[in-house]
Amino acid sequence: MKIRKKLFLGFGLYIILATILGFLAYKELQIITTRLTVVEIADDITNTILEVRRYEKNFLLYKDREDFHELKKYLAALKKNIDNIRTEIINEFGTDNYNMMKESIAEYEYLFDRIAENLRAHEGLYKNEKDSIDKMRLKAREIQSFTENLLKRERETINSLLKSSVRLLLFAILIIMVLGTVINIKLGASIAAPIRSLEEATRKVAKGDFSQRLNLKGKDEIASLGASFNQMEERLQETMSSLELAVERLHEKQAQLIETEKLATLGKFAAGVAHEINNPLAIINEKAGLMKDIIELSHDFPNKDKFLNLLNAVFDNVNRCSVITHRILGFARKADITPELIDINSLLGNVIKFLEQDIMLKGISLKLDMEKAIPPLRSDRIQLEQVFLNIIKNAIDAVEDGGIVRISTDIKDNNTIQVAVQDNGHGISKEILRHIFEPFFTTKEKSKGTGLGLSIAYGIVRRIGGNIVVESEVNKGTTFTVEIPLQTELHGGENI
Amino acid sequence: MRDAKVLIVDDEVEFATALSERLQLRNYAAKAVFCAEDAFAITKAEQPDLMLLDLKMPGMHGREIVKTVKQFSPGIQVIILTGVSEDQILEEGIEGEVFDCIMKPVDISVLTQKIDEALKKRN
Repeated sequence: MKIRKKLFLGFGLYIILATILGFLAYKELQIITTRLTVVEIADDITNTILEVRRYEKNFLLYKDREDFHELKKYLAALKKNIDNIRTEIINEFGTDNYNMMKESIAEYEYLFDRIAENLRAHEGLYKNEKDSIDKMRLKAREIQSFTENLLKRERETINSLLKSSVRLLLFAILIIMVLGTVINIKLGASIAAPIRSLEEATRKVAKGDFSQRLNLKGKDEIASLGASFNQMEERLQETMSSLELAVERLHEKQAQLIETEKLATLGKFAAGVAHEINNPLAIINEKAGLMKDIIELSHDFPNKDKFLNLLNAVFDNVNRCSVITHRILGFARKADITPELIDINSLLGNVIKFLEQDIMLKGISLKLDMEKAIPPLRSDRIQLEQVFLNIIKNAIDAVEDGGIVRISTDIKDNNTIQVAVQDNGHGISKEILRHIFEPFFTTKEKSKGTGLGLSIAYGIVRRIGGNIVVESEVNKGTTFTVEIPLQTELHGGENI
Repeated sequence: MRDAKVLIVDDEVEFATALSERLQLRNYAAKAVFCAEDAFAITKAEQPDLMLLDLKMPGMHGREIVKTVKQFSPGIQVIILTGVSEDQILEEGIEGEVFDCIMKPVDISVLTQKIDEALKKRN
């Protein structure tokens, strides 16, 4: 219900109550007025009868004609009075009583007329006249006592009516007060309560809580406001959660970007260092080489073998250095930088064949789950081989003897395939996971790894527009998922 | 194959001289120069069969050196012998004009094998 309707209804109830009360009071007053008229008439009749009786007494005492005329005049007035009584008043008197009174008066007049006539004729009363006079007086008293009784009764009725009217009015006032208060409170509550809950809800929204929903019953303006409010809250909540999601994604992207940037910077730095080291290393290599040449060519060089051994140790370590610098600079990949159609399953097969001996030696159970319908991709074979060689070799190193390595290929979406390399090895802690793609970061023994394998793999995959995702749990194992685009644009290779 | 004229162009004097000497011991007519100008002069005067060139020379890009040298001696074979990475060689845009790129340091036997292959191609 609309608020206007509610207010109308509230006022309407008031007005109806007031009207009923007024009507009741009016009715009571009307009844009282009628009663008062009866009293008045009865009073008149009583007074007229008293006058009649006075002249009757005088006439009978003095036999004056004047008294006769006065009596007749009052008697006529009395009759006229009685004849003029309205029907409703007659009903009040009682029709029988009324008729009886009229008859009594008529009888009284008849008796009086006869007495008066006899008096005029005989100038005195006969014996039998006395009976007539007594009879007449009796009639008169009857009429008198009747009207007196009527008066008394009417007065009592009016009194009790007045009392009940006052009671009724008091009761009605009480009812109006109580009912009015109840109506007011109910009306006020039905308007104010939803406003209050709306206010509360608004305050919560201001504090950033969009979870609540208003449950406003009814069809008034507040209820529809509540419905709009709920809609607003829903929209706000949706917007907030999508914003939160966007912020979260932004953070992720940012972290990823920072990571990529960091690795790129590290890579550039490492390349710079590698280059700077290559030149002096080349000089050492040539000088030592020249020494070796000379020693080998001379027939009687003292401690020839000793020197040759020493020089070989120099070459070994020059070689050790250059393996590192060459790997950093990616020189080995130079020759085959042309993209070709590659079946990733057979490429992985080649890599596995290359690592067969390691797998056999450790007794690793290798499980393959290759997607047969995988589309061919256009990319650099040598570089991809390098990527998977590094990752699968890491998996083999990570597991205990007899561990499990699972390699699977899958279609990720229309433009991307993915290769997952999963092991049940020692896993990587979160602390270490953060650094695994950094160059020179390794947890292997010095002789076993340079810390460049994953760094190089990551660099290659990023360059061909792919990504490497690592999931690991300590003592449970690690999964490397390599995502590769079907079409590759090699960055930094403009001849492709 | 042997007695082929090999010109080493590298601003690292110690590297160039030592390598030159080692190649001479292996019967190549090797000569070392340490700047682009000398390289051009020798190319003009002696028409070497092959040039070992460092990509990073002060004052001149490797690509310009290759171009100029090829003007003086069109049949000359060029092997880039450098400390820089593959990406930088690609940036130079000379991979079509040179026989191969080898990264320093290099084992002498690997180098002589490449030199012989290049000379075979020249002949």
